[in-house]
Amino acid sequence: MNNTRLQQLQQMIVGSVEIDTMSKSEWVKAGGAKLPESGDQLDLDQGFMLVTKVDNHQVQVLHMQAELTLLEKELLSWLAKQGSMSKSGSVSASEMERQARKLGDWLQQSIDAGEWRAEIPERFELHHRLFDGMIPFLLMSEQAENREPSYVELEKVLRSYLSDDMLLIPLREREWLILGTDRLLAEVETSDGDMIERGETKEALVSLATGLHQMITEEWGGDCHVAVGEPIIPTESLVYAVATLRETVNLGRKFHVGMHVHMPWLVHLERLLSGIPEPVRSRFMDEMSGRQDLFTDPETVLTLDAFFCDGLQRKRDREAPVHPPQYAPL
Amino acid sequence: MAGVRLEHVYKKYPGSDKASVTDFNLDIADKEFLVLVGPSGCGKSTTLRMIAGLEEISEGKLYIGDRVVNDVAPKDRDIAMVFQSYALYPHMNVYQNMAFGLKLRKFRKDEIDRRVREAARTLEIEHLLDRKPKALSGGQRQRVALGRAIVREPQVFLMDEPLSNLDAKLRTQMRANISKLMKRLETTCIYVTHDQTEAMTMGDRIVVMKDGFIQQAATPDELYNHPVNLFVAGFIGAPAMNFITGQLSEEGGAVRIKATGINVAIPAGKAQLLRDKGYIGREIIMGIRPEDLHEEPVFIEASPNSVISASIEVSENLGHEMFLYLNGLGKDNVIARVDGRSQLQEGQNVKLAIDMNKIHIFDKDTELNILEV
Repeated sequence: MNNTRLQQLQQMIVGSVEIDTMSKSEWVKAGGAKLPESGDQLDLDQGFMLVTKVDNHQVQVLHMQAELTLLEKELLSWLAKQGSMSKSGSVSASEMERQARKLGDWLQQSIDAGEWRAEIPERFELHHRLFDGMIPFLLMSEQAENREPSYVELEKVLRSYLSDDMLLIPLREREWLILGTDRLLAEVETSDGDMIERGETKEALVSLATGLHQMITEEWGGDCHVAVGEPIIPTESLVYAVATLRETVNLGRKFHVGMHVHMPWLVHLERLLSGIPEPVRSRFMDEMSGRQDLFTDPETVLTLDAFFCDGLQRKRDREAPVHPPQYAPL
Repeated sequence: MAGVRLEHVYKKYPGSDKASVTDFNLDIADKEFLVLVGPSGCGKSTTLRMIAGLEEISEGKLYIGDRVVNDVAPKDRDIAMVFQSYALYPHMNVYQNMAFGLKLRKFRKDEIDRRVREAARTLEIEHLLDRKPKALSGGQRQRVALGRAIVREPQVFLMDEPLSNLDAKLRTQMRANISKLMKRLETTCIYVTHDQTEAMTMGDRIVVMKDGFIQQAATPDELYNHPVNLFVAGFIGAPAMNFITGQLSEEGGAVRIKATGINVAIPAGKAQLLRDKGYIGREIIMGIRPEDLHEEPVFIEASPNSVISASIEVSENLGHEMFLYLNGLGKDNVIARVDGRSQLQEGQNVKLAIDMNKIHIFDKDTELNILEV
């Protein structure tokens, strides 16, 4: 902070402001948090300290001596947080967020209009970053409203987990699209560097999504649902991917209570069941009352799943352990 | 390091008229290894998730140390979690997996390196630090997941069925490893399991839960020998405690329990308690641990008032011990645990003496242990 700003701040709070640097241990000794962050504050006998910068060993603070209300302190803390966040990245964080939100709004509008095959128009600033193969993840936070992560915080964490070339696109409240480079799939492999098969790709995607869920839950922000899709070229099929992932999470929450990681290729039967009108479903359930065994029998479920699986119906008919026409009334 | 305190904690989900956790009160001491155990749906994981901050607390207060943390985000609670699904970060090697949380918290590189290597040494995974998760066995992955939690040096460890995905042999091995590790780290640990053997062998103290309520919180020894109710008595111990419904009566100054195939005298101290509480003439449930039924002649001779006869329907010889499934006592099979070298065989009639000093008597309506309450 330069002298002009320091003086401006002094005039605003009608008191003195000094810039001070202390070691982390001194900060903790003074009563501060063990892991200080910009925006942390500490009340002193005389005045108030606000963290403005945290380095490896040291903490830079503003030492203010003035009568400040709780709200004024909170505002100063918020400003300090914003200040530290906007320093990262070549495009400022707020600019990146603006571009991402713009794209997110368009995605939402396209889904609402049923234009699932729409391609991303060139007018979007992020358009040039959407030509490479990317893995789409959908993140739905389960946190209470007051704990919703900020764009900047979430992006920082995801960059650490995925890589710097990831993109975070806010969709709706507590719903985010994350695009990670498809090079991650190669990194999941051990060391031999061989081309991975389609089945292995899915396995790698599941482990990436499970790891992402664990990371968000354990290391950072609390509970959430994550869905992952196969790699796409976003300019061509991002709307479709988002719509599919959203449907996948919704089906997963409905049919796989207790699971938090969902894959589109594992909810074919659920999609079918979900499409049955409620009165028809109720009638069926009434008629089948006492026959729950059908739905817990793995062979039946496997057969139904295989029978209704997209695009592979004929092939899988032949492979199914029980002949599908038995289930024609469904 | 810190203790954890739950004060009148409730968890109620929207749309449900029944609480998943009801009036949970518990003080967990600093450095204590506490196990939450109970059947599926009893509320143990929900309780742990509330402590972790993954579930909101509907009512009540949660303290970690002296701080109320109800509204503190999970990342700011200074806890580390290990789950059943120990998902590692698949595109990072073991070192990076363990270092990730510290990197996120902006620890110095040398400090990260020190902590990761120390944890790896403790867990004996130093030689795996360069490997990706895909190249690890189940047990190794589990140790990495533990390592990821350890490097954080948290105030409290939270573990939710962390051994469930391992095979039986590895489970036993990891059980001992975790116990040793926690003793060494001297950190408070709250551990959830549905496996009572895990609970009994690992916990300093065990909380048995059912339907969202704490049934009993006590040391393993206390739980086993002094269960407060029928549920705890039946849940702790394998094979489970035998329960026989019978009637108490007084004959010639002695209080006796009578049931199908059973007519035994109760020791004076216990008998007096039953008289005082007005149970004479009433139906009760008698609980007998399988090891408190003795077939040794010396025991039978010394206990003429507590001898019973039964036929052996099935016998299971495990080598060092033998389980006898007995017919003719009460309504259900009664199991006796006897010496593996015993020559008893299926179909044979056997005489057994009940160690009446070890029996439990439960109220048939309230299911409370009359002799303990």
